[in-house]
Amino acid sequence: MDKLKAIGTINIRKTAALAALLALFLIIPHYMRNAQLIMFSRVFILAVYGMSYDILRGYTGFINLGQAIFFGSGVYLGVIFLNMQNNLGSFVLALGAVILFSAAGGFLLSRIVLRTGGVVAAAMVTLAIGEIVRNIAERWRSVTGGQDGLPLRFSRVALDPLFSTRVGGYYFSLAFMLVMLLILRAFILSPTGRVLMSIRENEQRARFLGYQTNRYKTIALIVSSIAAGLSGVFFAVIARFANTDYLSIQYTLNALLITLVGGTGTLYGAIIGSFFVTWIQTFLLDLNRSFPGFTLFRYPMLFVGSFYILLVMFMPSGIMGGIYRLADWYRSWKTKRVT
Amino acid sequence: MDQLLKAQDVVSYIGPYTILHGVSLEVGHGEAVAILGRNGAGKTTFLKTVMGLVKTRSGILELDGKSVTGMEPHLIQRMGIGYVPEDYGIFDLLTVEENFRIAMWKEDKETLERRDYVLDLFPDLKLAYKRFARNLSGGQRQMLSIGRALVNDNKILLVDEPSKGLAPVIIESLAQALIEIRSHTTVLLVEQNFALACAVGQRFYIINEGRTVESGLMEDLVKDKELQALHLGI
Repeated sequence: MDKLKAIGTINIRKTAALAALLALFLIIPHYMRNAQLIMFSRVFILAVYGMSYDILRGYTGFINLGQAIFFGSGVYLGVIFLNMQNNLGSFVLALGAVILFSAAGGFLLSRIVLRTGGVVAAAMVTLAIGEIVRNIAERWRSVTGGQDGLPLRFSRVALDPLFSTRVGGYYFSLAFMLVMLLILRAFILSPTGRVLMSIRENEQRARFLGYQTNRYKTIALIVSSIAAGLSGVFFAVIARFANTDYLSIQYTLNALLITLVGGTGTLYGAIIGSFFVTWIQTFLLDLNRSFPGFTLFRYPMLFVGSFYILLVMFMPSGIMGGIYRLADWYRSWKTKRVT
Repeated sequence: MDQLLKAQDVVSYIGPYTILHGVSLEVGHGEAVAILGRNGAGKTTFLKTVMGLVKTRSGILELDGKSVTGMEPHLIQRMGIGYVPEDYGIFDLLTVEENFRIAMWKEDKETLERRDYVLDLFPDLKLAYKRFARNLSGGQRQMLSIGRALVNDNKILLVDEPSKGLAPVIIESLAQALIEIRSHTTVLLVEQNFALACAVGQRFYIINEGRTVESGLMEDLVKDKELQALHLGI
């Protein structure tokens, strides 16, 4: 009886909307060109990268400016393992390696940054560590290929069609995003996740309730690093290339932008953020190609920058925050109308 | 009576300022003790020092004969101190239920019984159990803060100015609840509201300019108008 009651409370409209959205995402790749398939695949994978950042920034209030260390390492490990043997086994091995690397790296990073006092100091330390790692990677040409990078050599026969065709890559990335969304959501809703939320709200309060807050921040950093690393491995399959740019501050800022645009502390915000950040960059580059005579379109970053400034000014809590505010406003308007 | 909490010549600083110049007090098992004093006397800082939120520079702090001086707040809490801060210290973005669950060390039968006892003591919380804490009224927030500190098997409850900012009718019901709580828990109460302190406390300490200046039985303080005027401005 209780179970029946529970089923009865599921929001049918919300479930139907989600099912329709999922169906749409399952159907559209068959009507897309390769460029669009690649764009969507990137959106899905970068959404996970954004979620990894949201775990830190949105749920613990910690700003890591070295997040790209894990994303970039994931891309490298993906390319290196798949170049050794072009099959599913190598891919799984790459995932295993990146989990180990990111967990150890996240743990080490936490030992260093948790000794610094405050968010700004931690951000600066992570920025420095990120740059050190990128510099080492650039000089270690025998493994990383330096700035020239490493291409992913595909043997279409050996590799599963999931990787080698663009439609396969699309479904593969979509499935990855959905699975990671479920895993990270379960993590946030777990008792550990709730403690993290309480730390974000007020660390001192969590401490006098008996929580060693640094231990929980370490857990968050490890989970976030693993998610960033895994998204890197999947990105390697779509980008088919690895270079040191993926380890740079630019890619950390990408994650920051994704959460800024989408909204923090929601996980879903990262999906919307990833879509907008990827789409706006692609769209503005296309504009330049379509209207080569129009001088302003030669500087797409001018528009991208303006868009972000306007967004931060008028939607400080991102698109998801805006949606929540709009929903609140609609609810109060409806209540007022009834009364 | 056995000592449960002992403070001896406790000195502590906040930034460059010395707030406590030497606080000494004792709380026995099963007692309800009130700390009184004017604004800025150091009452809240003393509770924060006990909890390790403000570092002790010198002096001794002991709980049940074991030193807690200089320990981290989470370890002090685990030794059996429930703390109800001045600003309630609840988590607005969590529900009432989640606030309780986050405070519980374990979810065994005894803990759940203690939670049910709290919900019976504060029926408002039972009604608002699934609501976000940010939607609670001031009185309900205070109830949640006290209730949350009671769910664990704590040895002592430190309560910091529970009447602050609350309507008289709410203060009255809080006083009733605190009287009920003191029947089974040791209570150290910091309070500016003299009526509430008298209703709950059996003994008192007066802190002035960071030092313990007076102590005694609450019934004697109620009669001593001169002492009240000197240190409490009543």
